[in-house]
Amino acid sequence: MKTYIAQRLGIAILTLFGMSVVIFVLLRLAPGDIVDVLFSAAGYVNPSEKQAILKELGMDKPYWRQYVEWITQIFHGDLGKSYRYDLPAWQIIRPLIPVTVELAILSTIVAVLLGVPTGIVSAVRQDSTLDYAMRVFSLAGLSMPSFWLGMVIILTLVSWLGWIPPLTYVRPTENFWLHSVQFLLPALAVGYRSSALIMRITRSAMLEVLREDYIRTAWAKGQNERAVVWRHALKNAILPVVTVIGIEFAFLIGGLVVTETVFNLPGVARFLVEAILWRDYPIVQNLVMFIAIVVILSNLAVDLLYGVLDPRVRYAG
Amino acid sequence: MRPRTMVFLLAGVGLAGVLLLNGAPAIGQAPAKAPKSGGVLTLAQREETPQGFAIHETSTVSTTWPAMPCFSNLVIFDPLKQQEATDTVIGELAEKWSWQDNYRNLVFFLRKGVKWHDGQPFTSKDVKFTFDMLREAPDAAAKLRINPRKDWYANVQNVEAPDPHTVIFHLKRPQPSLLLMLASGYTPVYAAHVPPAQYRTACVGTGPYKLKEWRKGEFIEYVKNPDYFVKGRPYLDGIKYVIIKERGTRVAALQAGQVDAAFPGDTSKTTAEQLKKAVPQMVITRAAENVNENVIMNTKKPPFDNVKARLAVAHAIDRRALNQAVHQGGAAIGVSMPSKPWGVWGILDKDLAALPGYGKPADEKAAGKKLMAELGFSPDKPAKVEIVTRAIAVYVDMASFIINELKQIGIEATLKQIETAQWHAMATRGEYQIGANLTGIGIDDPDANYYENFACNSPRNYTFYCNEQVTAMLDTQSGEIDPKKRLALVVDIQKKLEMDAARPTLTWRVDNFAQWPHVKNLVPHNNFYNYGRLQEVWVDK
Repeated sequence: MKTYIAQRLGIAILTLFGMSVVIFVLLRLAPGDIVDVLFSAAGYVNPSEKQAILKELGMDKPYWRQYVEWITQIFHGDLGKSYRYDLPAWQIIRPLIPVTVELAILSTIVAVLLGVPTGIVSAVRQDSTLDYAMRVFSLAGLSMPSFWLGMVIILTLVSWLGWIPPLTYVRPTENFWLHSVQFLLPALAVGYRSSALIMRITRSAMLEVLREDYIRTAWAKGQNERAVVWRHALKNAILPVVTVIGIEFAFLIGGLVVTETVFNLPGVARFLVEAILWRDYPIVQNLVMFIAIVVILSNLAVDLLYGVLDPRVRYAG
Repeated sequence: MRPRTMVFLLAGVGLAGVLLLNGAPAIGQAPAKAPKSGGVLTLAQREETPQGFAIHETSTVSTTWPAMPCFSNLVIFDPLKQQEATDTVIGELAEKWSWQDNYRNLVFFLRKGVKWHDGQPFTSKDVKFTFDMLREAPDAAAKLRINPRKDWYANVQNVEAPDPHTVIFHLKRPQPSLLLMLASGYTPVYAAHVPPAQYRTACVGTGPYKLKEWRKGEFIEYVKNPDYFVKGRPYLDGIKYVIIKERGTRVAALQAGQVDAAFPGDTSKTTAEQLKKAVPQMVITRAAENVNENVIMNTKKPPFDNVKARLAVAHAIDRRALNQAVHQGGAAIGVSMPSKPWGVWGILDKDLAALPGYGKPADEKAAGKKLMAELGFSPDKPAKVEIVTRAIAVYVDMASFIINELKQIGIEATLKQIETAQWHAMATRGEYQIGANLTGIGIDDPDANYYENFACNSPRNYTFYCNEQVTAMLDTQSGEIDPKKRLALVVDIQKKLEMDAARPTLTWRVDNFAQWPHVKNLVPHNNFYNYGRLQEVWVDK
């Protein structure tokens, strides 16, 4: 097990190195830079002034040197300075992380709570009215983009109640109730979409397992439905579901752009898009690396969970 | 007539005059009450402020609107008057001022006892520091990283500070417009003891509000400046600008009362109608933004190096139809200076009708087609061009409309959307043939507009239009001190620019500024760069 984890971490480091090169190169390939954006707010571009600012920001150095400096800084625990804010990148990024992580966790919980039970019921009651209703429910979730659903929620609330959740971030320590309200609605909007995917995976995995011989045996032995479904079927059908949950969680860390924008939550994804538009390389590079780390860790967690959920899974050393 | 009756009559006429000048009270506004102190005003902010509070390094309302409360100018446009003009300029850091030597010297007498937010005393040294930096004087104590309005001060020969409370602007030639430029929201006085770069992250001003917190991407918060130099002001205890990127959410926030007023320029005619329907007590005031939509044509690249092709474009675009299609009739029609009631320099309707593009649509299209035919093009054998615009909805809508109009006279344009990061670099380098553009002007004044957008060698003259005759006309009007004579000269310039199709204006944008009725004294000006100080604003809750 320890060897397996060490191997995975080794691969993770290689992956992160590859990611760092890709993101660094892609950013430089995109036309325009921070100085063009700064001049954009002034309405003109002056080549000599531009050169002076590039020098001030260290962007006049060769690309390879900029890359080496960035990686060296990371190893020293320094993420560099935001070009846009003229502040340490970590100071900008740090407050964003808890917002996104909390929203992603809440959305995943909503998705699991909605998706897994409906998937099971839908499989057990295959081709019944209930099954059709739940499939329509899940298809609707897949068809509705979460940002659209978010906007509909906001507009409905404001039209019917003349109220919307707070638009400045309320910390849980400031007002827990308002904080919960602020996160619950976007979590519902995002979680509903993810739940649809989880529901469909759960349903198909369950249908497959329910046709297995050992399930037929369990029915023949006179076991009740609860025992057959929950103890025998679900335990064996859960692995693909866990995989999807892991992938969804990792996706949510970087994929909540529009939801964070619609609900005005100061999270990673919204800020990442802003930073890309501003060509704020230190922020973009470090945020992408953060997302990559979350994806790698959540994949690792899912793989390790396989062993817990299914005793047949063994980790090769 | 008895004297008393006469006095009432005159007062009535005077009041009517004031209402006409300033615009009647907006629908839904209650009669005036005595101002109350206290409360916090919450305002919508459409995006993070670019460059923090460094107003001198940007040209966007996204900076001036949330940064203005921190600062003071020498002079400012009266916050309670919608139309800005020379006679609405009032003192701010300057108690009084005087033009001397036939408008060659502008002398300011500064207030005494004014303090910066960090407690340092304000003196004439700060004024000299600021304007030497802006005009890039050889002996300036500091340099701005980006200096977009250097041209505004091209006529300033020297700034003298003979004593701590007097400043003299020595001019190369008379220029009455300078006073208006100094009254713009773009012209705060910086502290000489604070490096200009520091304004990108923090704010030390002398304004009515002190910066409390700027939480990046979330909000900017101010508190009342207890040492503000105007006694009894500001009325508010604080202001909070909530950054809301999504337009739909901003409208919902206003409707739900989470913000007290909209972001300037954010409320279209349709949005205003929807808001009014949902919240009948919402106060909507129509006010010009001093931003125009225009066509930029590269005069150094074919076919637009030929004035006939440019004129054909000017003829082809039906401004009124554009206004209906894109703005639902909510914008204003005018040429390079906004016409009344949105500006004071624009030409009259009767003159407008004689200019290319303002006649009957069918006649105008025919004129455009004829000009293109003279160049050998027709709708069957069109000139193929690429039209560039910024990848922002308002720009794309305008460009799409233009493409359809050009097709009818023999120009086949394909749309190319340019990201913001590339737009100005591309325009400044002239790497385009034709473009759909928006231009904001800091004040309603010919000098601010023409030297920036039409003068030879100006970095914002994206079309590279350069006409010595026009340059001479610009200088003549700029130095003219008689307002009537100057207006006549400016009208001539407007006609000349249209006949040269230098940069045809399509519409002038008009905002439908929305605010809750409990917000008092927040009067939108016909220029959204200049009414953000908010020292007179109070809330009646």
